[in-house]
Amino acid sequence: MDIKPIPVPAQGTTLGWQLDQPYRAKHLLWLLLVLAVLLFTGHRTEMDKMVVLTGQAVGNLVGLNDESQVVRGLSRVGQSMWPPAFGTEEEVARLTNLDRNNLPFLATIETHEKVEQHLNIDTLQMEESREKVELLVKPLGYVWTVFIKMLETIEIAIWGTLFSVVLSIPLAWYAARNYSYNKFTYTLARGTISLLRSMPELIVALFLVLAYGFGPIAGVLALGLHAAGFLGKFYAEDIENADKKPQEALEAIGAGKVKTLWYGVMPQVVPQYIAYTLYILDRNVRMATVIGLVGAGGIGQELKGRFDMFQYDHVATILIAIFIVVFLLDQFSARLRAKLI
Amino acid sequence: MIEFQQISKKWPDGTLALADVNVRIPKGQFCVILGPSGAGKSTLLRTVNGLTQTTNGQISIEGVTLTPASAKTLRRRVAMIHQHFNLTLRMSVAANVLAGLLPVVSTGRAILGWFEPAHRAKACALLARVGLDSKHLLRRAGELSGGQQQRVGVARAFMLDPEVVLADEPVASLDPKISREILSLIRDAARERNATVLCSLHQVDLAREFGDRIVGMRDGKIVFDGTPEEFTDERVEALYHGAQWEDQPAVETEDLYNDALQPQLVAA
Ligand SMILES: Nc1ncnc2c1ncn2[C@@H]1O[C@H](COP(=O)(O)OP(=O)(O)OP(=O)(O)O)[C@@H](O)[C@H]1O
Ligand SMILES: [Mg+2]
Repeated sequence: MDIKPIPVPAQGTTLGWQLDQPYRAKHLLWLLLVLAVLLFTGHRTEMDKMVVLTGQAVGNLVGLNDESQVVRGLSRVGQSMWPPAFGTEEEVARLTNLDRNNLPFLATIETHEKVEQHLNIDTLQMEESREKVELLVKPLGYVWTVFIKMLETIEIAIWGTLFSVVLSIPLAWYAARNYSYNKFTYTLARGTISLLRSMPELIVALFLVLAYGFGPIAGVLALGLHAAGFLGKFYAEDIENADKKPQEALEAIGAGKVKTLWYGVMPQVVPQYIAYTLYILDRNVRMATVIGLVGAGGIGQELKGRFDMFQYDHVATILIAIFIVVFLLDQFSARLRAKLI
Repeated sequence: MIEFQQISKKWPDGTLALADVNVRIPKGQFCVILGPSGAGKSTLLRTVNGLTQTTNGQISIEGVTLTPASAKTLRRRVAMIHQHFNLTLRMSVAANVLAGLLPVVSTGRAILGWFEPAHRAKACALLARVGLDSKHLLRRAGELSGGQQQRVGVARAFMLDPEVVLADEPVASLDPKISREILSLIRDAARERNATVLCSLHQVDLAREFGDRIVGMRDGKIVFDGTPEEFTDERVEALYHGAQWEDQPAVETEDLYNDALQPQLVAA
């Protein structure tokens, strides 16, 4: 068979066209404008100073520069943080019901000589007085305290997550355009979600501490309210974006909204819902370590107390604990996600 | 029996999808609707169960007039089989079939998935009837082939023993052999229940083979209504090409193809 080549260019076609160019002269103008704005805001956010200080710090570390404010500050804190505090010491005399024959786990009683200097009023001389003090030493006493506080933190996160899930289910239902009863309920639900999402946990916790007092209640509620906004939004959007075909099939036979949602939508969205909820749990654990700073329970409260008393070695222990928990949590949620989806 | 009386449908964008349709489909008839794309076949079917609201006219099913108030109860008596099967793909085959019973199952039981033994037995029986082995029962619907999915769709449609079955291009994406099988299933299951079938198709041979009656639509109007024997090849030509000959001279289309389109197609 005879195959004729296709004439290129074909008759009547022109080559006077081009694909859209990705950049033009006006883009350069935009670039200059953006640079100007960045320079302006960079000065306002002290980015120039940051560069200078960091440069000094690097110079100091490599020995070019003998003075650096940053290195000095950091090394002072670093020195007082190291070594982290693991144990506790308590004066036995102050412990009212200590059973000497049955000491707590790993605890020992050590005797220390306490030297005190004081002024003798008669001789007007400094005198030393020596006193024997018995101390109950628990080598892992502080680790235990941190562990208990961390447990409380995780509990706050779990309850906060639970609270947010329960709250976000009705929110999601009303905030899904295709399942809300009417425009009013839709707008109301969307408004509530925006409100909840716009309030940072820390600020909410601050107010809730005023209402419920110091402790975990404020923490749980603060985490739960904020996360309910997040989950409500994402749950609702998944409902809206779910494949319409099965829903239409159920609507066609008159299955009703709730049953249509359960059989036509839920199976599609559940894997995503689990992913969102895991993310919220993860986020809540991290946030729960922080909201204690304003007195809403958990490890943050301990952290704040130690920080205010300049006990940076204790702070170090707490930071290590937070790192370990977040690391374990990452591993856990990655594994769970892989299994469920 | 389905009766369309002076049905029209105008979409908000001004498209007149149905223009004064008057048809009466007696009980137990397998009525095939043919017509080019955009003729209004889907729109007509969807008015029967109220998925699409009519602009004008009246529909009655077994003597009951379709109104917003009666739609809820009427829908239970009208099943639908879809072109894209419309199964919940992440749900099991059994759950998809049982979902056909949702209108008559309480919300609580539906959510818990507690279906009576009689219902579950019926689901199994129907799945066997449409030729799906019981080993597929707890498989995800999404794992099935298109033909198998449509079998599930047919089983779901017959769970409530409908009086009317609407099938919108039920075999559009299936091979000819499976298409025949699925249409036979629909026809036979409907016959067993003396149900009326309204089925839109794009394949003329299948329409002639399965239809007791063929209704041809164009531009929202019924332009043919008769038996398969009366639907001759000339009628087919007229149904699918009639207006194009009127609207545009055929030469122009050919020129367009040869001169402008062809080189571009090849170059692309
Ligand atoms: N939701 C809608 N909004 C606006 N116009 C619509 C809508 N659905 C259908 N139409 C229009 O109504 C007309 C009839 O469409 P319909 O889907 O009933 O055609 P059809 O005969 O089923 O075509 P096909 O064979 O391609 O399925 C078309 O012009 C279409 O564009
Ligand atoms: Mg259609």
